[in-house]
Amino acid sequence: MTDFKALLRTLTDSGVEFILVGGVAGTVHGSTRLTVDVDAVYRRTPQNIDRLVLALTPYHPYLRGAPPGLPFRWDAATIKRGLNFTLTTDIGDVDLLGEITGGGGYDDLAGTTLSIRVFGIECRCLTLDKLIEVKRAAGRPKDFEAIAELEAIRDERSRGDRT
Amino acid sequence: MSDESPSSLDAIIATYKAGLDRSLIRRNLERTVEERLETLMQLQEFAEELRRAGRAAGVG
Repeated sequence: MTDFKALLRTLTDSGVEFILVGGVAGTVHGSTRLTVDVDAVYRRTPQNIDRLVLALTPYHPYLRGAPPGLPFRWDAATIKRGLNFTLTTDIGDVDLLGEITGGGGYDDLAGTTLSIRVFGIECRCLTLDKLIEVKRAAGRPKDFEAIAELEAIRDERSRGDRT
Repeated sequence: MSDESPSSLDAIIATYKAGLDRSLIRRNLERTVEERLETLMQLQEFAEELRRAGRAAGVG
């Protein structure tokens, strides 16, 4: 099980700059769909990559679905060489994304986020409009139903002004 | 990136939208963000328990 609270706390306590996207961002906006991992776009500055390494090292990040024993090293050099990482950790699954289709990287997305406070933790989350836009841009069939729900949430909000 | 053109994507999404249970959405919008995330974790726990039960019964 993914401990969303622990993952968010770990990242924020370490000062990692990230934006919630994907299913958890959908939940923030009111989606009823089950998601089992945290998707986060992280800022690819050397300082932030160092913070990311420090934040997750105690939780033994490893490539999700990879056979055990691969020579995977969770360090700044690995993150700099790669871009998007689907990881499993002791506190749950996390997808760390350097870029997303239709949205770009952290700095491209920063203007289309909102600040949320949850479990006493303050973090940034993609806006509903942007979330719909990037899911549409990705065009993955597995997202079609999620897009429909997010658009319905937007309709409901515009009717009732719910947050 | 998919080969879906915007118009066909709109049609697919409209079909899904027509089948949505909006009462579930409305009820979820009444909850706080924290309550939504807590519910998500409870659902994960429930799903894991069901998987465990399935394995124990020899069907997993």
